Amino acid sequence: MTAADATIASRPRVLPAWKRLLLSEYLVLVLTIFYFVVMWTIVPEIAAADTLLDILSAMMPLLVVAIGQTFVLIVAGIDLSAPSIIAMASVVGASVMTGDAGYANGSGVEILAGIVAFLAVGSVIGVFNGLCTTRFNMPSFIVTLTTMMFFSGAAIWYTTVHTDASSIGNLPRTFIEIGQGRIAGLPFSLGVVLVVAGIAHFILSRTVYGRWLYAVGLNPKAAAVSGVPVRNVIFWAFVISGVCAAISSILYTGRLETGTPVLGQRILLDVVGAAVIGGVSLFGGKGKILWTIFGVLFLTVIDKSLQLMGLPIASVFAIKGSIILAAAIIDATRHRLLVRG
Amino acid sequence: MNGFRGKFTLLALQNAPLILFAVLIIVFGFMSDRFLTPINFVNIVNQASHIAIIAIGMTFVLLIAGIDLSVGANMYLSAAVLGVFLVGMPPIVAFPVVAVLGLAFGAVNAVIITQLRVAAFITTLATLFVGRGIALYFSGNKMVPFSKSVLEFGRSTYLGVPSAIWVFAVVLIIALLVLKLTTFGRQVYAIGADPDAAAKAGINVKRVVFAVYCICGVCAAVGGLVSGSQVAVASSTFGFQKEFPVIAAAVLGGTSLFGGRGSVLGTVFGAVLIQTVENGLVMTNANPYIYPLVISVIIFIAVFTDSSRTTVLERLERRKIRVEPD
Amino acid sequence: MTATTQAARDAAITAGRPLLKVEGLCKSFFGVEVLHKVGFSLQAGRVLGLVGENGSGKSTTMNIIGGVHQMDAGQIQFDGAVYRPKGPRDAARQGIAFIHQELNLFRNLSIAENLFITEFPKLVPGLPFIDRSAARKRAAELLAAVDLDLSPTTLVNKLSQGERQLVEIAKALGAKAKVIIFDEPTTSLTTRETDRLFDIINRLRAQGIAIIYISHILADVMRLCDNITVLRDGHVVGSALKSDMTIERMISMMVGRSIDQLFPPRDYAAPKGDPVLDVAGITQRGTVKDISFTLKAGEVLGISGLMGAGRSELARILFGIDPYSSGEIKIGGVAITAPTPSVCMDHGMAFLTEDRRAEGLMMEAAIDTNIALSSLQNYAGGLGGMIDRGRLAGDVQKMSTSVQISAKDIVRTLVKNLSGGNQQKVVIGKWLLRDPKVFILDEPTRGIDVGAKNEVYKIINSLAAGGAGILMISSELEELVGMCDRIMVMAHGEIRATYERGSFDREELLRAAMWDGIRSSSK
Repeated sequence: MTAADATIASRPRVLPAWKRLLLSEYLVLVLTIFYFVVMWTIVPEIAAADTLLDILSAMMPLLVVAIGQTFVLIVAGIDLSAPSIIAMASVVGASVMTGDAGYANGSGVEILAGIVAFLAVGSVIGVFNGLCTTRFNMPSFIVTLTTMMFFSGAAIWYTTVHTDASSIGNLPRTFIEIGQGRIAGLPFSLGVVLVVAGIAHFILSRTVYGRWLYAVGLNPKAAAVSGVPVRNVIFWAFVISGVCAAISSILYTGRLETGTPVLGQRILLDVVGAAVIGGVSLFGGKGKILWTIFGVLFLTVIDKSLQLMGLPIASVFAIKGSIILAAAIIDATRHRLLVRG
Repeated sequence: MNGFRGKFTLLALQNAPLILFAVLIIVFGFMSDRFLTPINFVNIVNQASHIAIIAIGMTFVLLIAGIDLSVGANMYLSAAVLGVFLVGMPPIVAFPVVAVLGLAFGAVNAVIITQLRVAAFITTLATLFVGRGIALYFSGNKMVPFSKSVLEFGRSTYLGVPSAIWVFAVVLIIALLVLKLTTFGRQVYAIGADPDAAAKAGINVKRVVFAVYCICGVCAAVGGLVSGSQVAVASSTFGFQKEFPVIAAAVLGGTSLFGGRGSVLGTVFGAVLIQTVENGLVMTNANPYIYPLVISVIIFIAVFTDSSRTTVLERLERRKIRVEPD
Repeated sequence: MTATTQAARDAAITAGRPLLKVEGLCKSFFGVEVLHKVGFSLQAGRVLGLVGENGSGKSTTMNIIGGVHQMDAGQIQFDGAVYRPKGPRDAARQGIAFIHQELNLFRNLSIAENLFITEFPKLVPGLPFIDRSAARKRAAELLAAVDLDLSPTTLVNKLSQGERQLVEIAKALGAKAKVIIFDEPTTSLTTRETDRLFDIINRLRAQGIAIIYISHILADVMRLCDNITVLRDGHVVGSALKSDMTIERMISMMVGRSIDQLFPPRDYAAPKGDPVLDVAGITQRGTVKDISFTLKAGEVLGISGLMGAGRSELARILFGIDPYSSGEIKIGGVAITAPTPSVCMDHGMAFLTEDRRAEGLMMEAAIDTNIALSSLQNYAGGLGGMIDRGRLAGDVQKMSTSVQISAKDIVRTLVKNLSGGNQQKVVIGKWLLRDPKVFILDEPTRGIDVGAKNEVYKIINSLAAGGAGILMISSELEELVGMCDRIMVMAHGEIRATYERGSFDREELLRAAMWDGIRSSSK
């Protein structure tokens, strides 16, 4: 790099509107709206109030996991165990609350105990992931890959211990309301997610810990020399991801009315994919809650539209993959455009 | 004293997967008298061969610090094409056709990664969906039965060794030769260590990376064929999430996710180790639900010791400024 | 190499014609001209020194000759023909080798593999298989040519920086290079390694190889080169034989004005304050032994020594990055029992690392983000530890102005786009925002140009005048002599000697640093 480049970078430029859009952080949102409008002409029912509410409530659990994942991605880690946390928390939480010989059944506080169980499972696995990555210097990809394998297996095994069925049902009505209930026509889960997203956004943009997360993602050595407790920062990112997955599990379990060990099995790639489509970098140091929300919205709208069109699973897979790919290519291309000016 | 203990720890850590392997064999040997038999050993390698073949391809990708999540979809696509379109063909014709298809799959990944400069993780995540979608379209979301000749191939043996093992051995030898004895192979290691330096040194980085993803694609397809010939029908979840045990096998064998470090022999060892555990659990009549638990614990232990080894190595190899009298 | 080009080259030498002739070289990046009609020539068997400040166009010129960039206008004659390389590989094939400052070696491969990574000797022509024994044999020959007594199968991982440099030269020889370009080859070499490198370069010169030598260390340039060309702002401002050149003249040509005093004056006689850093008996096995000294407020204390003498290691221990087994550290009179960077920072210490790219900066982040990093906690408070963004931004802007970072927009400009000097000012600004009482500076002027050096020296002086204690590690003796109140010399992890201003003697300082080195090498 020469000094000449510095003058370039600091010189303000006026770009044509289409280029500004391409480089804008709202690109994914614009693409979603564009897609939505196109779909509207093909399947008008996508704009029906019920469908929109459906999209909204389908989005919520996915969004919470993705928010947790964003923290881990910012420190240049990855949490593949999130879906297995969802599954494990779901069956453990359900086994506490269920009317079929649940641990806390009839105690009067079964819902509270259940929710505590959900969160406990999430934080314990998060703590384990965090400890292994920071204290034993293990790559997070592998640590969370093994916790993913372990807890997906453990969730199934745990279910077989409790019931002959493939899932744990008969959950308290009030609990189910968390996932399904509506307040003023809006899903109750929306409230939960708004709180989580609000806190996450506040942490990332306004607190010292938030700034430290980015610093660790950008250059952990420089961060350490600048007095950032790098290990703790990474550790807490994994705990946050675990807790978010547990909250997501509460919403999913409530929606499905049962504790299911295969819950979330197929969303792993959606979670990481949504964050990355939103613009969160896999290499760390780059990400915003707003971006993740856009990414999740994008994927959910696509899922719903394909479902409405009544396409076979084959087309759903192929189209979804192509769209992820297109988004990634646009993202890669726009950065090159920016460099060329 | 300190130095000796350090070296001893290092030696133990360096050979941790081997020690683990030996311990497992002894434990399972005691628990089941069918375990420690030559037939069972052949059986283990036979069952491990498809994972090992794909993991060999994955090793190339990991060596350049890349990743290929689409291998499972590639497997399924190969199996679906074989079972739906190439029914009449004898395996000797059909297999090369499918291998070329796998190559094409890998080439698509390679084009997107090298030419459009999309991150490998996201590229192969997307082609995972697309590939599986196309395969599901071919199979009509139904079970795909394989032709008789394919199944015969799966059951056949040569010199008493199952054909799957022969295919695996051929892939292994080619991979060994390529990595150890060709300029390309050494350049793979160089790119993994430092891609910028590799470009400056005059290595055609794009071409090598391109070839690596193609190799991984071929291996995935061949692995799909081998696995398909053993299982009679491919269900719609054939190869689903196979990328994880494949990556685990490579990592278990000492391949780094950050590039530049690893070997195909290690990978093969990793694949066989995983299969040994699974086989041992079957032999000892363990609860099938705990298989994944045991396997993940073993992978965890292996990675844990590998990381500890790196930490100890760094401490031992830290540059000494003073030579201290002992 | 064909017979005709060999003949052409011989003819060129006898006729005194240059081997490499650069004329009217122009290059622009994004519409900004960085090279304007640069021209110089080089004969076989001569060493051309190329000097200039950072951003003067040295690197761009060499990148064009080395095939990394393409020229916009101009012409290069090489070996009697027009030369226009398509890429680095093409340049190498035509006989121009470029040894970059950051060496291009692969640590996970052996020396032999590094030497032949683009073209291994083949077992059978036409087949891709490597002839490993032939590769080893040829590698051994090349290593002998650079006096490197190592097995070709040694992993590069195990080599010292100086040995790696020699491997790069061996690689150039293997490629039958006629011109070898060195870009700052000595920045991370010990004095002995530098001497060895110069011996080899002299030998190459005797063999008729032409050398282009780029360096900030002007004394080295004077020592080694036959001709010297000075660049400023993309123009050649002067070319002369070494006999017609002096270091002072080079400096004044480089900066376009004469720097009467590279080292700004300071009142050395001013009384020093209370001790701000007390170090007693710090020892860590294999690294440092029994280090004791006191640094007072307002004092600049230098640490001299060869590479690998334990200077940076000591600094890292003092700042709590690396462990120590015994001894005591007091900052501002307070004993620090378990030092970590954040504990040391809380007691008023700051640390500028020698490797600003790897440990000093977040290259992908903007200037303001970098400056704010170590002070964030001072701006957080209230509900949920919210950062007072307004106050922070204001203070960061003030700091960036006071250390004179030249960038219009500190919020948008990424640090990676700054020159070395400006990057260093960002690191300094980051620490000054904490108003440190003890500032450890490890090679504060490494790889930055003369103008920026002068500005860094002024900052150091004003800090000392403001009552901070400065611990300054440097490999440039001139700099320590120019700046310090006291200089400690380290060797082999120990303090060998301490000198007061007034009794600084360059030879004496060097001897103290070398003494141990000589002893250990004779062992």
